[in-house]
Amino acid sequence: MLEVKNLSKDFGGLQIIRDLSLKVEAGERRVILGPNGAGKTTLFHLLAGTLAPSQGEIRFDGAAIGALNAVRRARLGMARSYQKNNLFESLTIRENLMLAASAALGKSGKLFRDPRHDAAVKARIDEIAEQIALTETLDAQVSTAPYGIRRQLEVGIALATKPKLLLMDEPTSGVGPSMIDHFHRLLNQLPRSITLLIIEHDMDLAFDVADRISVLNFGEKLFEGTPTETKGNAMVRSIYLGEREGGEHNA
Amino acid sequence: MFYQSPLRTITLIAALCFLAIYASFGSYFAREIVIEIIILAILAISLDFCAGFGGMVSLCHGAMMGIAAYFYGMMSVKLGWGLTASAGIGLAAAVIFAGCVGWVTARISGIFFIMATLAFGQMAYTIFFRWRWLGGDDGMGGMRRFDLSAWGVNLNDGLIFTFWALGILLLVYILSALLLRSGFGRSLSGIHANEGRMQALGINTATIRTQAMAFSGLMAGLAGILAAQHTFYISPELLVWTLSGEVLLVVILGGIGTLVGPIIGAILLVLMKHSISAYTDYWHIFVGLVLIFAVLSGGRGIFGQGEYWWQKYMRGQHA
Amino acid sequence: MQNVAMDVSFWILQCLNALQYAMLLFLLSVGLTVIFGLLNFVNLAHASLYMLGAYLGISLAALTGSFWWALLIAPLLVMGIGAGLYFTLIARLRTAGPMNQVLVTFGLIFVFLDLVRIGWGDIALGLAAPPALSGTLHFLGINYPSYRLFIIGLGGTVMAGMWFILARTQIGAMIRASVENTDMAAALGIDVSRLFFLVFCCGCALAGLAGVAAAPILSATTTMGITILIPTMIVVVIGGLGSLEGAILGSLIIGFIDVFGAVLMPSFSALLTYALLAAVLVWRPHGLIAARG
Repeated sequence: MLEVKNLSKDFGGLQIIRDLSLKVEAGERRVILGPNGAGKTTLFHLLAGTLAPSQGEIRFDGAAIGALNAVRRARLGMARSYQKNNLFESLTIRENLMLAASAALGKSGKLFRDPRHDAAVKARIDEIAEQIALTETLDAQVSTAPYGIRRQLEVGIALATKPKLLLMDEPTSGVGPSMIDHFHRLLNQLPRSITLLIIEHDMDLAFDVADRISVLNFGEKLFEGTPTETKGNAMVRSIYLGEREGGEHNA
Repeated sequence: MFYQSPLRTITLIAALCFLAIYASFGSYFAREIVIEIIILAILAISLDFCAGFGGMVSLCHGAMMGIAAYFYGMMSVKLGWGLTASAGIGLAAAVIFAGCVGWVTARISGIFFIMATLAFGQMAYTIFFRWRWLGGDDGMGGMRRFDLSAWGVNLNDGLIFTFWALGILLLVYILSALLLRSGFGRSLSGIHANEGRMQALGINTATIRTQAMAFSGLMAGLAGILAAQHTFYISPELLVWTLSGEVLLVVILGGIGTLVGPIIGAILLVLMKHSISAYTDYWHIFVGLVLIFAVLSGGRGIFGQGEYWWQKYMRGQHA
Repeated sequence: MQNVAMDVSFWILQCLNALQYAMLLFLLSVGLTVIFGLLNFVNLAHASLYMLGAYLGISLAALTGSFWWALLIAPLLVMGIGAGLYFTLIARLRTAGPMNQVLVTFGLIFVFLDLVRIGWGDIALGLAAPPALSGTLHFLGINYPSYRLFIIGLGGTVMAGMWFILARTQIGAMIRASVENTDMAAALGIDVSRLFFLVFCCGCALAGLAGVAAAPILSATTTMGITILIPTMIVVVIGGLGSLEGAILGSLIIGFIDVFGAVLMPSFSALLTYALLAAVLVWRPHGLIAARG
């Protein structure tokens, strides 16, 4: 499904990603772990095409996509949700989902036809709204909505494109325990037709959702294995879990 | 995002009726004012289309209009083409110019976009200013109005020409409204709100932006041909950047991103200019102060502010 | 061109003309660009202050009987007007976005235009160069007006002074740090808003200075602001908004293109600057010398 070979990225001599290789199977749930500055978000930028790698190869669905820009990659079925909310702030929640749904359903460039009255777009909006539990607040303005709702919409926009591969950058970043539970359920309910690549700091959620876990540190892949193997690995414990037990919490 | 609310429809009808009545019962001078308003309003709608909904604040809309006017004049007067074909060429030239500007500037925004459009507009201005064959800085005359006598319509009659212009204004409004509520128009609003996220959704934002500028050029071109037919004369002053600045003023004054607001803005600006210049030569200072006030008072514009209050009142009624 | 000597002196003359125009553009653009770099503010009315400088200079010269008093006081008066603008408009528009800034300062152009018409009338006014500079200087086989040489010298002095302040003094270091990253500068304890005000006032004074200096050559007209605004904006954008080196480079490029274009290919010279601007905006949207990393 997704295959990364010897990927490197440096910014002015500073290596953010070093010789990283990764293979994710179709339908897999893969969690990326790693301390701050490990290069996780940069990896997502490279995968989504918003940054160009210094070296290496990316294959998606069997095709090399290294030369494609972010727009072309999105059209191949790659979607992304962001660590910092990246929404259409001046619009309503419904309009946000409509933009995503019409993009995915090929209604975005249509002249003289209003996607608001398009049955397929409407159905998609309702479906996603239910999934992210925002059916009640669809017509609220995004800029004035509470943080938790904006966080759900962030994932909802990505889901509304019905991607093959969904890159989620810390979906639970900054939300409370009840919202984490909600995301937990949401992730478990997503169909296996969507491959998930998740950067996550919440350990319970990560270990429960993941099929496999890749651990990054200083841009390198330190370890890869099942959740159980990861928990048992001494090196991972020292660089990552140890730090977490020290009480630091990522906001 | 654009919605043709009942308030907007009512305002549109009221504005058109006002112009029609003012022209019908007024003097020759009143009709001249109405046509001046209509041309400015078309240009302002065209600018609101890309600035208010796409975030592309262009300072080359005067140039789009002027290019259409000049090509219309060149084809019909200098090369002796038929009027309809000349108008077609004029519109095509405006669309091509606007599309090229849109395409070239598709990756820049903010002050850099404003400056780039200013540069392209001034480039066009300079070309026509220097082009002796087309009269250079003296401008050129001899344009004619369409011959619709086959339909029993005589456009050389001042009042009939006013209604013809009014019809084109309505047509431009409807075209804009239809485009803005389409998938394309919604995407344009999405780009205005968050261009990066639109790209992440797989939307080729450069294409949408280019198309939006091209459509805007088509509408500005209609204003240009109307202007050429109105006075039978065109000059490089149509293309100069300060005219584009005044169009932006009209959009802000009426309400940016409301589509009907620019018509209100055009009515107010032209009437204000004429009534002030009846008393004093110094109308610039009033226009300048109004503009500063319009921005400092929240920037919603007259219609925009009214609409905002109306929506607030309606929400209060429902709550 | 009859002989080589004539040819060479002709080109020297054109070079000096280009340099003189470039210096005028520099005096205007340096204020505009540093204000943008620091405040993120595009002041279209900057050129109106230049016009005010010229008119105030003419009145002051008539009042005091001396060009030099005018050259000294008019920029200070313009600075005062700038300070007034800062407190009434500029400060509250800093975060209002480029469109609102363009609109309000466009409105200011209109206001200043009519104020000048009311105060001084529609007729072009001249200002005599001071007696000491009214002659011509003979060198390198050419005769050149000494007043124009004075403008070149004035521009060069301001350029050197600006460079010294920005590169060598503490306040210059503060300005550079704030252009690079305003938040960081504020966090380091720099009083950013006072710095903004100071820089804005100095920029306005330079615009006023350019106005007085230009008056003996160009004479004051109500359209002089609008006329110089576009080349000034082009200089700033080509050079890189916020960059001193960019303003120097941009002024020289536009000065030379304009003068030599007018000599070599008169019908395309104006087009050339616009084409250059368009090319820079497309290939290097942040200017030849970008102010921020």
